[in-house]
Amino acid sequence: MKVSFAVVIFNLLLWPSYGVVINRDGAPGYATFREANSISTLKTSHQPAQKRSRVGGKVRYACPMHPEVTGRQGGRCRKCGMALRPYKTETTAASIPTDPATSLGDPEKTVAVRNIPDVLVTDQNGRRFHFRSDLIAGKVVAINFIFTTCTTICPPLTATFRRVQQELETNGNDVQLISVSVDPSTDTPERLHDFAAKFKAGPGWTFVTGDKDDIDSILQALGVAVADKNDHTPMVLIGNDAVGYWTRTYGLASPLAITKQISIAKTAR
Amino acid sequence: MLVLACVPFLIQRSVTASTCTQDDLTPQEKRGKQIYVIGGGSESNDILAYVGDSSIEVPGSALPCAGCHGLSGKGKPESGVIPSDLTWEALTKPYGVTHPNGRKHPPYTVRALELAITRGLDPAGNKLLAVMPRYQMSSTDLADLIAYLKRIGETKERGVADDAINIGVIVPAAGPLSSLGEAVKATTSALFAEVNKEGGIYNRKINLKFVETSESKEATAKNVRRFIEDQQIFAMASAFTAGAESEVSSLMNELQVPLVGPLTLKPEIGHPLNRYVFYLVSGLDDQARALVNYFARNSNDLKNGAVILLPEGGSFETVVNALVDQCRRVGCGSMEKASYVREPFDGAALALSISRLNRNAVFFLGSNSEALSLFKEAAKLQWVPTLYFPGGLGANDVYDAPPVFNNKLVISLPSSPSDQSAQAIQEFRGVAAQYNLPKNHVASQLMAYSAAKILVEGLKQSGKDLSAANLIAALERLNEFRTGLIPPVTYGPNRRLGSRGAYVVVVDLDKKTLVQAGSWIKVE
Repeated sequence: MKVSFAVVIFNLLLWPSYGVVINRDGAPGYATFREANSISTLKTSHQPAQKRSRVGGKVRYACPMHPEVTGRQGGRCRKCGMALRPYKTETTAASIPTDPATSLGDPEKTVAVRNIPDVLVTDQNGRRFHFRSDLIAGKVVAINFIFTTCTTICPPLTATFRRVQQELETNGNDVQLISVSVDPSTDTPERLHDFAAKFKAGPGWTFVTGDKDDIDSILQALGVAVADKNDHTPMVLIGNDAVGYWTRTYGLASPLAITKQISIAKTAR
Repeated sequence: MLVLACVPFLIQRSVTASTCTQDDLTPQEKRGKQIYVIGGGSESNDILAYVGDSSIEVPGSALPCAGCHGLSGKGKPESGVIPSDLTWEALTKPYGVTHPNGRKHPPYTVRALELAITRGLDPAGNKLLAVMPRYQMSSTDLADLIAYLKRIGETKERGVADDAINIGVIVPAAGPLSSLGEAVKATTSALFAEVNKEGGIYNRKINLKFVETSESKEATAKNVRRFIEDQQIFAMASAFTAGAESEVSSLMNELQVPLVGPLTLKPEIGHPLNRYVFYLVSGLDDQARALVNYFARNSNDLKNGAVILLPEGGSFETVVNALVDQCRRVGCGSMEKASYVREPFDGAALALSISRLNRNAVFFLGSNSEALSLFKEAAKLQWVPTLYFPGGLGANDVYDAPPVFNNKLVISLPSSPSDQSAQAIQEFRGVAAQYNLPKNHVASQLMAYSAAKILVEGLKQSGKDLSAANLIAALERLNEFRTGLIPPVTYGPNRRLGSRGAYVVVVDLDKKTLVQAGSWIKVE
């Protein structure tokens, strides 16, 4: 699938703080990886997605607070006066991967993303699956994290996901949507079924529960394990397993932002 | 200017209203509360919620106000999202509100609140947080909702005062079961009198009130509804509902009254869960499963399987399913179903036809008298199967069975004397002596006493800030809680049956006694 440069640029400009790229070797920018774990920084951080310019992309400079203000090296933002920072524009998703040598990340941090456990899980209809081989392997996936007794952020998260699904359906859906329960001991398949029905989740969207230890191992691998389920992150993890491309985005962002990230993942090589 | 003129009026209203309790909600405010809590308006007008960039449309029931702002209106922070305090006092602070993220706005007015709900704007015109949906609802619904928002936070929990909690008990009406009712009344009164003597629960005394069943289940449900509303009942401890179990438990759900320990052989514990009703011990289905486990473990004739014998026209579907399913799980041969006509009951013909099935195990779901007649006719045919009785056989006439059935009658019981701790029995005897409790219906007294003890534990664990939601959460945290009178109880978010399993008891016809066969059989 081809994605025009314009789409990518639009995406990077619009959501500079949300797209955090983990390269095919599983090495993300460390700082951005950390940011993704905290929604307050996700919401307030206006840092461009890439801290450093990359080979293959033309280097531009943008205001960290006002990404629409661009200019030359050493320039200042006309809105707030902050120094402009290096900012990559013309690139494709395929060229985004970080050079491991210059990556700020600790590769150990992200190996886990590749080591998704192939544990047995149960979906909202009581069917049993192997998490990695049945739901992830070779697919483009978008994963969010919910629990059915969460009433503040999970309903809007799920409603957003539903809208994403509708968007994808109009483009011939070949993306696997997954909602992993972070409270598997409470979330029985029946509860997940009711929750899914409330938001009219369509086929191709699997709600996952299972043995607590197994689900915990999934959450660990995906880097979203938290001690208290009420602290779980409103984050969507988007991946293209075939090429080992993973990215994270803010789950309460507009559905458009999420579908953009999904189309980038689809074209990743 | 018009906007400003509204404010003093609104504040004045809220002050006069602050002396009220929930009971004083006007019909309009009650409708508003329904919209607030469940996101549903009057039936003809659906409420819709729009999230994010408004392209996401979901039913209002998926995103009710209370989900984020809580029943108290104060907001339930989660994952960094801090929903605003919606109490009228907070919304109309004369100097306006400054939110943690720096957003500032003047006090809300009714019009401003309408705009916040329908357009997602605060009184200063700022956009609200993206997770706050915009709602589309009729102007009547909107007016009802705002009428309630003026009252939210002032309302008190029904039946809870600073110095008292109203607890209700359902007892049988005058009639054949009246002595049972008297025994239960006396036992629960004695227990709560002891609790009050020790200072109550967080300085709240328990006001115990009783309601009687009525001639039909509809009439009983009506009675109980009136009782809860008129007497302002917060929670109920034990209920003898004489056939109205289903009606009473859905009433608890509707009125949001937690009920601990209804006496029934058919606990409703399936999906969707009724969160308000907590059962103590296994009903027929789980006891049947325990008996199948016992059968699978102890029979040396599994290859012949067993017969399930049941009267026609009864509602035995779930227990039959439980027997068949459990048999499949533990592998106990085939289960054959056979039903018989009750009126007229022909024990001889039944014994003959069942004996021809060539099975040596029978799970019997009929009555005591039918069972006795069957024993006698089977003995005449020299056919002596082992008979299993899920839920037990009442009364002592079981000892009238022919002697050949010695050790062949197997009964399940949801609790047994082996559950009783010396300390708890001593305590119960002490209370019985002190309050001169009736000497009859001791098993029912122990059940009612246990139910009351579990409720008291839940009330203690709920803390000072008592609400139905807190009580339910506290009960859900009980894990292996021991009353010392019945098996330990465990509840959870998906679990409303305190102890799942049964004891198996074999009837010794020689000594006319029941012999417990092995330990507790757990069913999961």
